[in-house]
Amino acid sequence: MENSKAFSLKNLGLGCLLTAAVSGCSEFDSSFAYSAKTESLIAEAQDGTDAAPGVKPTLDSRFGNPQQLKAWLKLPVEWGGASARVEAVASTDTEIRIRFTPEEGKSLPTEAGSVQFITGEGAGQTVAITKWDAQTGEAVLASLPEKSPASGDLCAIDGGAALQSGRVLYMRHCSHCHGTAGDGKGPTAEYLNPKPRDYRHGVFKFTSTNDQSKVSREDLLRVLKYGIPGTYMPSFLLMKDEELHAIVEYVRFLAMRGEYERKLVNELASDYSEKSVSDRLKDEKRSDIVQELNEFLKDEFPATADSLGDELGEVWTAADTEDAKIIPSVPRVPDSPESRRRGRALYLSSTLNCADCHGIDGAGNGPQTLAFEKNPVSGELYKEAGLHDEWDNLNQPRNLQRGIFRGGRRPIDLFCRIHAGIKGSRMPSFKNTPHEDIWHIVNYLLSLQFESEPGAIAAAPAAAAEAAPAAAGD
Amino acid sequence: MKKFWALFFWFWPLVALYVCLIAPSRGWWFPSEPLSTLGHQIDGLFYLILIIVTVTFVGTQAALGYALWKGATKGSSQKAWFSHGSHKLEIIWTIVPAFVLVFISLTQLDVLADIRVLSKFPDSVQNSPVAEVMARQFEWRIRYPKPGTKLMNEPQPGDLYFVNEVHVPAAVPTMINLRTQDVQHAFFAPRLRVKQDAVPGLIIPVWFEIEKAGEYELLCAELCGWGHYKMKARIIADSQKGVDEYLTRLELEQNEDGVADAEASAE
Ligand SMILES: [Cu+2]
Repeated sequence: MENSKAFSLKNLGLGCLLTAAVSGCSEFDSSFAYSAKTESLIAEAQDGTDAAPGVKPTLDSRFGNPQQLKAWLKLPVEWGGASARVEAVASTDTEIRIRFTPEEGKSLPTEAGSVQFITGEGAGQTVAITKWDAQTGEAVLASLPEKSPASGDLCAIDGGAALQSGRVLYMRHCSHCHGTAGDGKGPTAEYLNPKPRDYRHGVFKFTSTNDQSKVSREDLLRVLKYGIPGTYMPSFLLMKDEELHAIVEYVRFLAMRGEYERKLVNELASDYSEKSVSDRLKDEKRSDIVQELNEFLKDEFPATADSLGDELGEVWTAADTEDAKIIPSVPRVPDSPESRRRGRALYLSSTLNCADCHGIDGAGNGPQTLAFEKNPVSGELYKEAGLHDEWDNLNQPRNLQRGIFRGGRRPIDLFCRIHAGIKGSRMPSFKNTPHEDIWHIVNYLLSLQFESEPGAIAAAPAAAAEAAPAAAGD
Repeated sequence: MKKFWALFFWFWPLVALYVCLIAPSRGWWFPSEPLSTLGHQIDGLFYLILIIVTVTFVGTQAALGYALWKGATKGSSQKAWFSHGSHKLEIIWTIVPAFVLVFISLTQLDVLADIRVLSKFPDSVQNSPVAEVMARQFEWRIRYPKPGTKLMNEPQPGDLYFVNEVHVPAAVPTMINLRTQDVQHAFFAPRLRVKQDAVPGLIIPVWFEIEKAGEYELLCAELCGWGHYKMKARIIADSQKGVDEYLTRLELEQNEDGVADAEASAE
């Protein structure tokens, strides 16, 4: 992780791109589908004009395509590879030899297939390595780089290797539901309910981070390992740790790509979508509109596109810091009938009003499930009654009586669901509720499944009842 | 040319015989030695049937070759003999296979009962399953009773949950309850020679005694949907102490409130 941070920090100014050369060719050519919103722009905004690139070329130049992934070093993705510096260059007519020294605290890999130059004259070039000596750090390059590297240049040996292995695993295990671009539209997706996550919003439901924070790597890893009970997301527990990490990084890469695309399009959508252009044509000429777009793409868009990348890098980096993590200020209140009763009272209270969605008995049948909602984007009513999530899927509140908790059944999991809400869904954040109260609700929720009848809280929880006679015997 | 066919049909039983003889020593039949007590009995049945099938195959092929050879060497003047409608032959080839089948079914009865009939299970596992293994599309969800309590058919407070990994004691008979949440699946541990369908609506007790501690593959052996191939899990056989320690860890983990953890990492 530190490795990539070192890269990105050093190169933020350069806005440097690394091409992660995909070795060999893949079975079939695939591409990252663009979002519907991108496709709704006029052609000039999508593809750009003579003067400047539009959304699609900007996106492609930073993220590449599945065969030729690009590493945009602004983004906090673990690209893989070892960072090293050129120590000495010796070239003859037939070959070029470079000796590398690892960056401080790093070591050189035992095998190496290619090197990417990040700084110096040769920056941006990727050259294959034909002979590699891990002991001395000496490499024989397959070809002469166009611009010769000099000693002191920063480079990445096998840069992007982790991302590529993530891609291979993702295509094998995940893409048939989540889609090549992470749009949740893989071939099996249409048979599933709930629908597979569309990562392109950059939003993940079950996180241990604050309501405003992105998902952390740890959260994604948990979901991969343990699956999401009650959905089609299975557990991948038997995969190796490094494989899981590679998938997590690739999913984050796809999420950032999708989110970046959305942000780019938002810069253009209000003025240059097919719809708004056809409205504008009533009193403007098309050539004027294109001219205006041309100037926007040339003068403002590149800087905006860069700063959007910086923002993205910041929020995704922040998600893995301690500050983002939800840590209850008090330990879990021990489970007791008293605590459960308080939990139920809070659950029914008008301030928290859990019953409005989850129902008085927690069966997930509150009055909100019968209401017709407005689509917040289009402003139209949804066709079916009930709550909808950010992805416009019907997403009814959980039936809490069934004991199936999608984001996990540990007390901390439920605590996070209440504290941060479920991102992208109508479950709001209750971060201002005192933590002790949240624990009471957690205790109530965990007991709901075992109630003899709705609202009937047992005299003593089973565990306490067992412990009591033993204590009396002492 | 006529003789060629006789030799051709004599050749294959020789190949079959050779393969059957060397296969066990090469490990061609099974993924490994049987690693559960029942596995030895199941392999025994397998080899018994293999011998019967080999003898039958070799015998019938030899007879076929003989008939062809005789036809090939016979003068063309001799008339053919038609056996169609011979009661004697019909009776022989009905009774002999029937006898063989009855023999097989009687011999395997004991083993089948040991595997399937609850009252024949070892006393120590009767009514004391260590875990519930719930198959679902496409994973195995495991439920252990709270340490010190018995596993109930319905979830109980304090039950422990995990996925795709089941810990059981080694070297003692162990029973699990097999269920499915959706469609039909099958609990298949190849090295243990355990295979049992999970049927919607049924709670099926499955017992086995794993001889050695270690990790064993658990697969779904019933094509259950598009993600069937994903249903791979592991059975971890450990000493009773090891299993107890695991369950204690699992209980701690399942009661995680995120505070102790944070304090530990802050230190
Ligand atoms: Cu299955």
